[in-house]
Amino acid sequence: MRNSQRKLFIMIIPAFVLLILFVYFPIVKGGVVAFQNYNLFDLTNVHFIGLDNFKAVITDRNFNFWRICLNTALWIFVSLFFQFVLGFGLALLMRKPFKGRGIYSALVFYPWAVSGFAIGLVWAWMFNGQFGMINDLLLRLGIINNNIGFLSDPKFAMMSVIIANVWYGVPFFAIMLLAALQSVPKELYEAAEIDGATKLRQLFDVTIPYIKPTIISTTLLRTMWIMNFPEIIYGMTGGGPANSTNILATLMINKIYKFYDYGQGAAIGFIIMSILFVYAFFYLRLTSSKEVVL
Amino acid sequence: MTTFKKVLKITALALYLIAALLPFYWITITSLKDSKEIYSFPLKYWPSKISFNSYKQLFSFANFGIYFRNSAIVSLIAAFAAMIISMFSGYALSRLKMKRFKNRILLALYFTQMIPGFIIMAPLFTMLSRFQMTDKLSTLTILYITMVIAFSTIMAKSFFDRIPISLEEASMIDGCNIIQSLFKIVFPLTLPGLAAIFSFAFVNIWNELFLATMFIFSDDKMTIPVALNSFISKAGISWDIMSAGLVVSLLPTMIIFAFAQKYIIAGLTEGAVKG
Repeated sequence: MRNSQRKLFIMIIPAFVLLILFVYFPIVKGGVVAFQNYNLFDLTNVHFIGLDNFKAVITDRNFNFWRICLNTALWIFVSLFFQFVLGFGLALLMRKPFKGRGIYSALVFYPWAVSGFAIGLVWAWMFNGQFGMINDLLLRLGIINNNIGFLSDPKFAMMSVIIANVWYGVPFFAIMLLAALQSVPKELYEAAEIDGATKLRQLFDVTIPYIKPTIISTTLLRTMWIMNFPEIIYGMTGGGPANSTNILATLMINKIYKFYDYGQGAAIGFIIMSILFVYAFFYLRLTSSKEVVL
Repeated sequence: MTTFKKVLKITALALYLIAALLPFYWITITSLKDSKEIYSFPLKYWPSKISFNSYKQLFSFANFGIYFRNSAIVSLIAAFAAMIISMFSGYALSRLKMKRFKNRILLALYFTQMIPGFIIMAPLFTMLSRFQMTDKLSTLTILYITMVIAFSTIMAKSFFDRIPISLEEASMIDGCNIIQSLFKIVFPLTLPGLAAIFSFAFVNIWNELFLATMFIFSDDKMTIPVALNSFISKAGISWDIMSAGLVVSLLPTMIIFAFAQKYIIAGLTEGAVKG
């Protein structure tokens, strides 16, 4: 038996060689880069500059940092709220088997398998100011009289990218919550029914408490994931117009892919990670769950 | 259930379905229109004449065949390799007896799912260019294996956890060594799980944009997401080619999802990390 435990050790090695080489090692270096002057066009001049990258990011005139933080909060929490509510609704609807549920779920869950970038592009076309389907439908229904520049008007741009993000995230919550719902023992409902609880009461007194661990872990994970998820915005607006849809993650991409300023990019990454750690800590405290069911 | 409630439920299910499919419908219809019709009023919800011009342009003028081939090769190889590697690491994590060590390893795996990927871009880039490994599809393949390996391992572990260890013990009493019992007893039982890991990895790799943008410069090595990105010009997007490109880029994940949906969903709920 000892011998086979040793073989098990060997089996882990390939996966960890990859992770150490291409994730753990670079991330340590990435932490260092946040405190360095590090520009791809100026690699001979890499040196430590203390907190200058952080200062530069926070005081950047072209990218108002506090505005971007506010955008990030909006992007996360409004998206998350609607993703969760609509996903939960879908899970409840799909809970009892019905004819064709297999095909139905293949179709309704498919958005999950599409790339965020492709989703961004598809929705950019849906929201197109001239030839987009959404403008056309709203005009035909008489809800608006003139085309709206959903992605070119700062008033509408954030709402538009959030709608795309909600659409993208509903399948995730529906899948996870559906699985959790199916684990709720039937006896609990029978007991509640004997006590005369209405369906609505049953939802709040039986269902939600029972699947609470899943709700906590999915919303927590999803928050982290949405925060690190710039693809939809990148495909739809690139952060514009006038910064109205820039979030921390898209700002990071701008710094890295447009300005080649890895130092500032890493500083933003550092900020994102710190926010997430603090958030996760308080979230778990408030929901008083010591162990997330991952 | 009363009839009224039934109607209400069916209506709600139908609304969800319409909302999920409408964007796909619109992009597909656009790709089948003549390029003049895309930009003319009133908007048509069915092309007046189905035209494959956008697709012809996509594959002749825009070289999309090459990008498709690159994406297919990289995704298939990386997903397959990730499946094999995580088969072993997941099995080992499931069967190792040292609790503390095991938990640390799991924590190290979960940690990779939390960090913003862009923070490692710069160091990775300098490291790989020092070894002249940039602008190579093989490098991209290795990076993609790494990208999905943590989650694949977590998924694989949860699948192996459900196979009772007594099966292996019985086979070892019969004289199999650990490797033999692995291949004869354990792996065949986890085939659905392995299918889930493969599809999962494939979908994520097929969709990846930013690593590919960073590490590939030559036109003949671009993957589909990079190519789509290059269709965005300062002047805007020509939606005839773009819509056709998007439809082609959706096809493989659509096929995979249709076949492996059940396993993917099981994997997602077991692993529960990747969104």
